[in-house]
Parts: sequence; C-alpha cells; structure tokens
Amino acid sequence: MRLLMVGLAHQTAPVEVRERLAFSSSAALAQALLSLKETLGPAGECVLLSTCNRTELYAAAPEDVSAQDCIVRLTEAAHGLPADDLEDYFEERRGHRAVEHLFRVTAGLESMILGEPDIVRQVKTAYAQASDVGTTGPTLNPLFHRALSVAKRARTETQLGRGAFSVGHAAAEMAESIFGSLAGRSILILGAGDMSEATARHLAASGANSVLVANRTFDRAAHLAESLNGRAISYDAFPNHLAQADIVIASTAAPHTIVHKPMVADAVKSRRRRPLFLIDIAVPRDIDADVADLDGVYLYNIDDLRAVVDADSAERRQEAERAAAIVHNEAVTFSAWLRTQRAAAPLVSGVRAKMDTIKQEELQRLRQRLAHLSPEEWQVIEAAFTSTVNKIAHAPTVKIKDYAADGSEAAENKLDTVREVFGLGAAEERAP
Amino acid sequence: MTGSAIALGTALICYLLGAAVLGANLFLRRPALLWTGRGLAVAAALAHMAAVGLRCIELKHAPFTNPAESLSALAWMVSLAYLAAEVLWRLSAAGPFALGLSFLLVTLAGFAPAERGVPDPLLSSNVVSLHIISILAAFGAFALAFCCAVLYLIEHHILKSKHGLAWLKRLPPLLTVETAAFSLVAFGFPLLTLGVLAGLIVAASGGMGRGWQTDTHALLAYAVWIIYGLYLLARLRANWPPVRTSYVLLVGLALCLLLFFIPSDTHRFG
Repeated sequence: MRLLMVGLAHQTAPVEVRERLAFSSSAALAQALLSLKETLGPAGECVLLSTCNRTELYAAAPEDVSAQDCIVRLTEAAHGLPADDLEDYFEERRGHRAVEHLFRVTAGLESMILGEPDIVRQVKTAYAQASDVGTTGPTLNPLFHRALSVAKRARTETQLGRGAFSVGHAAAEMAESIFGSLAGRSILILGAGDMSEATARHLAASGANSVLVANRTFDRAAHLAESLNGRAISYDAFPNHLAQADIVIASTAAPHTIVHKPMVADAVKSRRRRPLFLIDIAVPRDIDADVADLDGVYLYNIDDLRAVVDADSAERRQEAERAAAIVHNEAVTFSAWLRTQRAAAPLVSGVRAKMDTIKQEELQRLRQRLAHLSPEEWQVIEAAFTSTVNKIAHAPTVKIKDYAADGSEAAENKLDTVREVFGLGAAEERAP
Repeated sequence: MTGSAIALGTALICYLLGAAVLGANLFLRRPALLWTGRGLAVAAALAHMAAVGLRCIELKHAPFTNPAESLSALAWMVSLAYLAAEVLWRLSAAGPFALGLSFLLVTLAGFAPAERGVPDPLLSSNVVSLHIISILAAFGAFALAFCCAVLYLIEHHILKSKHGLAWLKRLPPLLTVETAAFSLVAFGFPLLTLGVLAGLIVAASGGMGRGWQTDTHALLAYAVWIIYGLYLLARLRANWPPVRTSYVLLVGLALCLLLFFIPSDTHRFG
C-alpha cells in the first residue's frame, strides 16, 4: 500500500479545465469515490478534494494500481471525460511528497489567495464525505486528522491566516479597527448590488446586526434586507438615517455622487462623537471625496480597500515561509510515523498470527483430552489463553515498532532476528 | 544597599524589559512576546510595590519625603494604571508607552533632589498622606490617558491618511482607546479633586506656612484641575471632536509632570 496524490490545481490547469473535473454535488462526489474504491481494491482508501481551484485525489493504493489508473477512473467519474484530454494537466505525488502537499493545501499555502481560510473547511468536508462513504482507513484517517491540525498550527503560530482576503473582508477589518467589536453596530446599505451584499455579509459575520437597505427599486432593497435580517427603507429617506448608522456601504449605479458633505456634516453633529465609517465601493463613486475632511468620518473607496487587501497579502507572503517550515517539519514527522507503521505492521501481524495459530492448536489438543468440560469452562480456558498470548505478544510488538521507527541497519538486523525467532522468514516479510 | 533599593532596581529593569518586549510585540505580533511583556509588567509593579513598602518600613512614614520618591511613586501608579487598562480594555499597545514612562520616571527620580533632613512632621498627618496619594493616583490615571490619547492621534492619522494601515491591526480599536482615555480621566479627576481639597485643608490650617496662596505648586495643581475639568466638560457637554480632546490630555500630563520639577517654597516633600 502506498500513498498517492493525483490531481490538478489552479497553478497548472486553467479554469476551463478545472471546471470539467469539478464535482459540484455530494452525490457525484460519492459516486466517484465508490468508483475509485473499486479500482483501489478492498484495502485501498481514497479522499477526493474538489474545490473551484483544485480537484485532487488522495489515495492509499496497492502497488499494482498506478496513478494512470486513478486518473482514468477519476476522469470517467467526472461526466465520463476521456483521460487523454486532461492527462497533461495532472500532477502526481507519492509518499512524503503527497503528505507535504496535502499539509500545504490545507494550510492555504497552495491557495490562489495565499492563506485563505475556506480551504480548511473544504478539506474537512472532503474528508467527512469520504468517511461517510467508507473509503477512508488506517492510512488516510490519520493523514487528514494531522493535515487539519497542522493547518491550525500554521495559522496560529504565524500570521498566514490573518488580514483581509477580499474587499468585503477588508471593509470588515477596517470597521473593527475603528469600532472594535461590531456587535450592535448598525449598517446602512445604499444600493442592493452584489458588492454591497458581499460587504454587508462580512460585516454581519463580524457581529453588526442592524441593517438598513435603501435602493432605487424598493423590491430589491426589501429582498436584500430580508436576506440580511434587516429592514428596507425608502431611497429618498436615506439621509435621515445617516445619523443612526455606524457604517455606510455605498454601491449604487448612480452616475454622480449621492452623499454630500453637508448631508454627512448634519449627521455627524447628532452622532455625539461616535465615528462614522463610510465605504464607497461604487464606480463612479457615490460619496463626495471632501466628506473625508469631516472630524470623526472615515471614508474608504474601492481602491483604498483593495490597497488593504494587497498590503495584507504582502504580509502573508512574508509569513508563508515560516508557515511552510512548520508544514515541512510536520510532514517529515508524519511520513516517518507512517513508514514506521507500514514497516512494523506486517511483522506485528505475523507475530500475532503465529501466536494465534499456536493458541488454536493447543486449544484443539486440549479439547480432545478434556472433552468432558462444559462450554462455560471452555470459555474461561480460552479467555486465559488469549490473555496469555496478548501479554507475551505485547513486548515484541513494542520492540518491533521501536526498531521500525529507528530504521538503522542495526535495527533492521534486530527485526530480522525477530523474524527468525518467530519463524516468519526474513525476505518475504520485510516491509515494502 | 537597602532592600527597597534592590526592589526598585528590579522594578526598573522589569519596566525597561517590559517596554522593550511589548514594543517588539507591536512589530512582530507574537503571543509569546505579549505574555512575556505582560508578565514583566506585573513583575515590575510587584517589585515596585515591595520597594515602596520596604521604604515605608525603613522611614516609618509614607515615602514621599522628596521629589525623587514622589516621582518613583508616580511611576508605580502609572504601572498599576496600565495593568488595570490591560485587564479592562486589553491595551497592550499602551504598554511600551506606559512602562517606558515608568522607567523614565524612576530614572529621573535618580537625578531629582533627594536631600533628606529631619522628616517633615506633616508627613505623619493622614490628610497630607491622602493629599499625596490621591494626587499621585490621579496622575497615574492621567499618564495612561495620555498614552491612550497618543494612540488615538496615531490611529486617527493612519485612518485619515491611509498610510501604514497595517499598523491598525497592531493597535487597539480607535473607539476603545478613546473610551479608555475618558474612563481613566473620569476615574482620576475625583481623586485629583480630593487631593487638591486635602491640600487646601492642610494649607488653610497653617500646615504650609505663609504664602501658600501663591505657591507655584498649588497654582499649577489648580491649572491641572482646570485642564482635566475642561476635558470632561468638552467630552461630555461640548461635543468636542476626539482629536481636540486628545490634545487636551497631552497638555494635561505635561502640566502634571511640570509639578515635579518646578521649585516650591511650601511643598517640601515632592
């Protein structure tokens, strides 16, 4: 059994290729997993990670199953595509490289927007889906658990997961820099477009819970307000609500500015020193630039917020090196552990099998000699035998794992001695 | 070397290290640095408390016999105010300012007049002790309000100019520092009032000798009281913008510190 990763990602495959291999529904993904499991055999394991930026298969595959077999099955599962069309875009990683790749992906080091947090949820979901379908096992279970904890470590110990990833996120960050917690803060949205909705959702996710929406078309305002648990107001009445709002998101399609300095100055007077954060993400702009001259008013347009995203992104790039070092060390440790498990497993099971055979033979012999014993008495005898075998097997099992972890020639010789002692035959029992 | 001197030396080192570590945390944002800095601030405050306590035992009265000791006590009050602000508002960004100020005040105390003659009999008076302790505690709060005002002005400048926005992540929210500054002054102002009134009682009962009405310390203390009173009025009633009230706090602390360095005929104990 060996660890294998085949897949394609945004670094190597353009979107028109990635979308062809995307598994957008849970049912399609489950079907693909079952189909791949067939190829991998009963001991094989697989997890399929499918996001808009990557489709990657992680598998514990028998020696006789090649990466090519997996690619063929994967492309077939994805809407019956011929493998030849996509083969050039696929990447293949084995063993330690597959481990490190998964750790890097989960930590966000391979993401299109470096360090973006959504990938952790996506990896978690992919693993949960595979687990539900029953295609994970002793290799992929610890691998994915470790990947998720390594991602958490990389994000906690570095600034990789910090900062803004989008304009909406930047707006929420800026609002928190001004107000601290956004709980109880009120938002006034001017224009019910996608940008205002995305920005408002970020602010609402940070705690802002009072939302007013004003739009030229009242129905659209009502629709957006409903989705944000807010209230729609008449477009013409928005100046009356400026004084109550802490954050104003302006994103209308108006060809000229709609928020003017005297209007905001009036609102500021009755705000009693509370700051007012104005986010103008409309092009052309909705808010007069000279509004920024007012005391206690902080005006940010789309370029300002993009600059925040860029600056955070640059900071994350600096942190990526530290995060990559953490991920690398963790991958080395995990790969060593996996090797140990693999090297020790056949020998441990060989030793156990040998002892079990001896136990069964002895029990059989005893049954012939003590035929008069009741089934209850035999249960007691069998339990005593099992307990004895377990106790005898414990020390060799621990030693075998130690020697396998050591990996030195001396340790390998000791493992040979163990094989010899238990009559297991050195050559055929050695780990792959 | 006396026990109080050793404790004060320890506090001095902890102030410096605490300021440096919390300052480094502002740049590097490492949890280990933050917690080390906080630990050093607690250690400094405890060591300074030990120094003040031991000095009390050595002198057998409150250790405010000269400007040097009063400056040192003020440094302790600043560190206590910082720890309180850290607990209430997580103001670790004020740590480098506050602990740095404490370090500076203890160092300045080393250069300030420390002549010691016969202990002033007034020092055994409870009213005088109340006068000194209230005013020092108020000044401690004002010093931290000053730190908050500096932070406010820095953040306001960043937000308006849009340069150095990455720094905002390292600093407490704008509204938090403004609220903290106001709360500290609201806490310190009644103490200052109490201290000034206690001083007036001592002076009116003849404890300060003649000419106390025109004493530079007393006049400056009234000026400080007026400045912080004005701040509260401007903040609560006049609706001044926070930038303007922040500048008032800068002026206020400058006047407070001036009290320790101008000569006075009637204030013989710092």
